[in-house]
Amino acid sequence: MPSCSGKSGGASIQLTNLDIGADDEQLLAEIVETILPHGGDTMGAKDLNLHLFVLKMVDDCHSKEDQQQFLAGISNIDKLSKEKLQKSFVEASTEERLQLLQTIDNANDLDKDIQKFYHITKSRTIQGFLNSKYVMTDLKQYELIPGRYNGYVRVS
Amino acid sequence: MSNLNIDSIKDRTFDAIVIGSGISGGWAAKELTEKGLKTLVLERGKDVKHVVDYPTTNMYPYEFEHRGEVPLTIQETSPIVNRCYAFREDALHFFVKDNEHPYIQDKPFDWIRGYQVGGKSLLWARQTQRWSDFDFEGPARDGFAVDWPIRYKDIAPWYSYVEKFAGISGNQDGLKELPDGEFLPAYPLNAVEDYFKGVLAKKFTNRHVISARCAHLSKPNQIHLDQGRVQCQNRTLCQRGCPFGGYFSSNSSTLPWAQKTGKLTLRPFSVAHSIIYDEQKGKAVGVKVIDTNTKAEIDYFAKVIFVNAAALNTNLVLLNSKSNRFPNGLGNDSGLLGKYVAFHNYSARISAQYDGLKEFKTEGRNPAGGGYIPRFRNIFKQETTFLRGYAAGFSAYRSSDRDTSQIGSQLKDQLLKPTLGPWRVGSHMMGETIPKEESYVALSTDKKDEWDMPLLKIAMDYDDNDAKMKADYIEQLTEMFTEAGFTNIQPNTASQAPGLDIHEMGGVRMGNDPKTSLLNKWNQLHHCSNVFVTDGACMTSTSTQNPSLTYMAFAARSVDYAVSELKKNNL
Repeated sequence: MPSCSGKSGGASIQLTNLDIGADDEQLLAEIVETILPHGGDTMGAKDLNLHLFVLKMVDDCHSKEDQQQFLAGISNIDKLSKEKLQKSFVEASTEERLQLLQTIDNANDLDKDIQKFYHITKSRTIQGFLNSKYVMTDLKQYELIPGRYNGYVRVS
Repeated sequence: MSNLNIDSIKDRTFDAIVIGSGISGGWAAKELTEKGLKTLVLERGKDVKHVVDYPTTNMYPYEFEHRGEVPLTIQETSPIVNRCYAFREDALHFFVKDNEHPYIQDKPFDWIRGYQVGGKSLLWARQTQRWSDFDFEGPARDGFAVDWPIRYKDIAPWYSYVEKFAGISGNQDGLKELPDGEFLPAYPLNAVEDYFKGVLAKKFTNRHVISARCAHLSKPNQIHLDQGRVQCQNRTLCQRGCPFGGYFSSNSSTLPWAQKTGKLTLRPFSVAHSIIYDEQKGKAVGVKVIDTNTKAEIDYFAKVIFVNAAALNTNLVLLNSKSNRFPNGLGNDSGLLGKYVAFHNYSARISAQYDGLKEFKTEGRNPAGGGYIPRFRNIFKQETTFLRGYAAGFSAYRSSDRDTSQIGSQLKDQLLKPTLGPWRVGSHMMGETIPKEESYVALSTDKKDEWDMPLLKIAMDYDDNDAKMKADYIEQLTEMFTEAGFTNIQPNTASQAPGLDIHEMGGVRMGNDPKTSLLNKWNQLHHCSNVFVTDGACMTSTSTQNPSLTYMAFAARSVDYAVSELKKNNL
């Protein structure tokens, strides 16, 4: 996927419905990285361009309402960061980012757009990770051609 | 208009014409060409060559732009086909989109279609069970529709014939209600499916879980290798088309076999407009075709015509074949053409979990899908307040638990190292529905498609018998699951429109009496002896079995009869 081929200020991939700027794309990249960080000996969300996958899926597979809430949510999340941490999400430390997203995960009384945005982003990030070439081939979890079926495998 | 040049007519003249290249048309083509008849197969959609035209077949999940999901714009423009379980990003190209081929729902009907060479044989669920006399004798015993003009003994040898060639896996289960066949080794039940089988054997009389019988090469014979097919590799990506020919389809099996005889002409992009009836000769002489690319109208001629356009489209072609002799459609003196259509009731499912047998899990994938519970209601005698009964699918799998409540490195660990959860089990019903006169397909009098064909109006619905049967399925399965110690039992009775079962049948039913049926015991039109119908349209009743195997057997049997009659100059 091209990483910086977009018009200056726009998203780096071609989108049909979502009007999203480079800043928001960067913010989204940091959010997905917080959800699934690089670390240990495994790649993280940013390594796998999962922010672009989230954008692609929201652009093609979600309703207009979802898309509007997604866009409103992404800008509100930065406002929330400034309110709670006195700085933008991108400027916050890894630990601060994690805590901020955890509060969204646990809260019921937050801005509806933020919650919708967060819910979509988290589930699409998980989907993109599990369905990435990296996980499916390097970590060997998917067999295109099993060539067998065994209904009685003893669990060790 | 057709070119009347003599040579041109010669070029357009065959011994036989088959309308449709799906599961039954493919069989008709194979049998006709093997018997030496120069055969034209008409297909309204595009060509799909085995392997070559399976564009997604070797793709990994991450190679699909939307990881298998259908983009919303396509879902919104095709809400009907979008309800089909196999309408996913990997097989979108094998389904008719709603807006491409409109029809009229006099009652809600989800018409799922595959307009291409091979038709829905590329997409089918590959379950293959024989009918028994408890099925063929159903209408006569229970007083609905008309008596079938055949019994099990008439079709049994033809079941054997098609099974050997197609390759059907299964066990010899010794059940009267589900006759055994010519089987390749079955795909064994897994630990929990086997356990449930044992529970039913102990606690109930006459309730069985068997390995689902399916059209997969579990262990190919020479005849399958000769077709260029090899052992099923357990991919369970069948709806993409199989590069191994692991499951039976027209594309992998019957059509290439017919091609090898040198007698086959396959014409894609050809809508069969109508069958041409010659008033003087008193029989059909050919088929009027609309070329979908040029919209040109072309007549093709033959001595014998097989109509295998898929159940409802076969009705459409016959209804549209009007002449002075048959003003209401070919062979339709009875006025019953298009009536008594029916379907299968798939509108109930049930799931649960099992906390035992945790020492086992499964590996690889089972192309048969798991277990099959043959019909156990009202078989030997009427015993419930509803007529007939239902078969059921039954399968179990070991779930994996991934806690996704966290984020960060904890979430990643959970995703990469899931733990084994409990077994989960599921079942779905496959109920027989009763064909009724008020269930019909008919031609629109004012609306046509872009090829000048009248749109088809469709009306069939569930009735009180279906509602009672559905309630019984949930009650019985709940009891059986409870006996097995399954917990968290969740019935799901969300209705679905007829059609989504993709088992629509009837409209050109078989019967002994020309006043009450369209086809005789050889699938031959009572009133137009050189036209045969061997797809789902011929079905007098529906039973509970997945129907495709019976269509294949009818096609082979009917061709055998037609060719022997041709040789005797009787057609």
